[in-house]
Amino acid sequence: MIQTILNALSLGGTYALASLGLGLVFGVMRLVNFAYSELITIAAYTLVMTNQLPIMVSFLFSVVVTSLAAVLMELLIYRRLRGAAPAIMLVASFGLSKLLQQVYELCFGALPRSASIAPWMSGELKFAGVSITNASLITAILTIVLLLAMRYLLNKTSFGIQLKAASADFRTARLLGVRANHLISLAFVMSGVLAAFVGAILVVGNPQVEPMFGMNMTILALVGIVIGGISSLPGSALGGFIVGVILSLLNTWLGNGRVYSYSWLFAAVFIILLVRPGGLLSKGQEMERV
Amino acid sequence: MFAKSWVKGLTRFSFTEIFIPLIIVAGSSLWLSGRSTSLLLFIKFTLCYLMMVLSLQVFVGNSGVLSFGHGSFAMVGAFVSGLATAPLVIKQHAMSLSNLWQPLVDFKLNLGMSLLASAIAGGVFAALTGGFLMRLNGLAAGIATFALLGITYNILFNNNHIGPSNQALPGVSQFSSLTLPLVLVLLAMVLVYFYNLSRLGRTLRATREDNMASRGLGINIVRVRWMSFMFSGLLAGLAGAMYAHVGGAVQVQDYYLGFTFFTLAMLIVGGSASLWGAVLGTIVVSGVSQILLMWEQSTPVLGVTIHLPIGTRAIVIAGMLVVILLWRPNGISNGNEFKLPNFLSKIKVS
Repeated sequence: MIQTILNALSLGGTYALASLGLGLVFGVMRLVNFAYSELITIAAYTLVMTNQLPIMVSFLFSVVVTSLAAVLMELLIYRRLRGAAPAIMLVASFGLSKLLQQVYELCFGALPRSASIAPWMSGELKFAGVSITNASLITAILTIVLLLAMRYLLNKTSFGIQLKAASADFRTARLLGVRANHLISLAFVMSGVLAAFVGAILVVGNPQVEPMFGMNMTILALVGIVIGGISSLPGSALGGFIVGVILSLLNTWLGNGRVYSYSWLFAAVFIILLVRPGGLLSKGQEMERV
Repeated sequence: MFAKSWVKGLTRFSFTEIFIPLIIVAGSSLWLSGRSTSLLLFIKFTLCYLMMVLSLQVFVGNSGVLSFGHGSFAMVGAFVSGLATAPLVIKQHAMSLSNLWQPLVDFKLNLGMSLLASAIAGGVFAALTGGFLMRLNGLAAGIATFALLGITYNILFNNNHIGPSNQALPGVSQFSSLTLPLVLVLLAMVLVYFYNLSRLGRTLRATREDNMASRGLGINIVRVRWMSFMFSGLLAGLAGAMYAHVGGAVQVQDYYLGFTFFTLAMLIVGGSASLWGAVLGTIVVSGVSQILLMWEQSTPVLGVTIHLPIGTRAIVIAGMLVVILLWRPNGISNGNEFKLPNFLSKIKVS
């Protein structure tokens, strides 16, 4: 039971991180970044390829690579598309995502690359008669810490307040002196850092990295930001968390029927969207602007 | 003049806009397919893609609402048509079909009827899901259609009572010649063209251009989108069935993300706002793709051979989509219908 709750929390937390990474970028430039999945993938590849280094060094390395990739993505592609219709940017990011997948396939091969990353993570911890895996405990703690850190960052620092202002109304924020290029680049860096964390959490659970490694996570995180309220950062995180928790619980409860857990999840999403088309934390009017 | 009196309500009908694309599609198909059997197969697959891109153009192009969900109508169409034409002996003895629901084992139609059934199935499925989906707007709608694709794929991939689940359904009857798929596609092009000119098509484009203003003019957005979604689902179901009849097998993975990406790329590269864009995009993307495929296999194209590593093709297609979006966000056709070059059209005016 405790294991189930912990699993749900850690999966929910992971999805919340991924959704937040997507939501940060969406907020500043109305871009649904499908290629986020390739950021998660590159983070995982970096961890697997630098497996011989100490884990912290390897992880730092992957954070640097991932955020660099995110910034490059913005500079080379998305900067030129700024102001285009959201649908155009969505398709462009879909194309970029496919492009990077093919590049990974060319570089690393289509078959999974694997390495045992932090083997002690799969150990179990006995605690008052219940046993829980180290990985789920650490993931749960890590995501809670990260979410609190993000909360602090968004609410208390100048960068965070600028980000929130830009998400609410980008044009007005610019008029009030928010530097657009600067802020957007920073949002991409943050999104890259979050992707690196998500990639690391995923790769510990499943060290088989292949070119489409981040795809599933990203699609579900996207669904998360839509049900949470696409133009609100806390909404994104909440939506992601809900998706993760529902998925984890469905996987536990459905038993043999767990192959259909995605269908149930998506059905739940449909219902939420029908009741609240703008997402759980939306204020109604915001949809019109998008 | 002639055009206006010919079909009532068509205000912008022009012969060149529809006939030249028809001639290009028919001419290039007939010419290329006679050259080799591999090109014949390529043309057949391209015609299926064209049908799918037409379907996407009807909805995505005219409404401006992205749909990742059309693959699910193609899946349904393919399953209906595949199960209707696969021989009884295969349905009873194939390992992957041992759990098939009895009425489906007995379900049997000839090729023409199965195509019709798949179009209807696609249309009905679109009508049922569209009733919910069309209430959503903008990006929420895009993501929700993704969820639709996810559900359909998830169910068809795992349930072996309604189909071959994750295996292939073999023995689906194949098109004996190019005639039937070509005629179907040409017919669809004419239908889509007239649809785009019709009151419904124009109303839908009005909602794309300005959501608020069109509502102010008394357009029921949910209704016009829903009707187009149905028409579009019909064509997508047909496209999925055609794909099954070209390949001779049905496998649900064929209609999932790769298929969705490839057909959307065709639409966007050509320009989603016009029939000509859909046709041009399909020709350009599948043409480039075929040339690169031949080069990957070291086959000469028009006497030129370049040795490319396997995988170049997919990179180039995805790269092409991104570059086109950066360079010309409205696609190669820029959203216009086919127009003769200026000097030619001047001659015709007198």
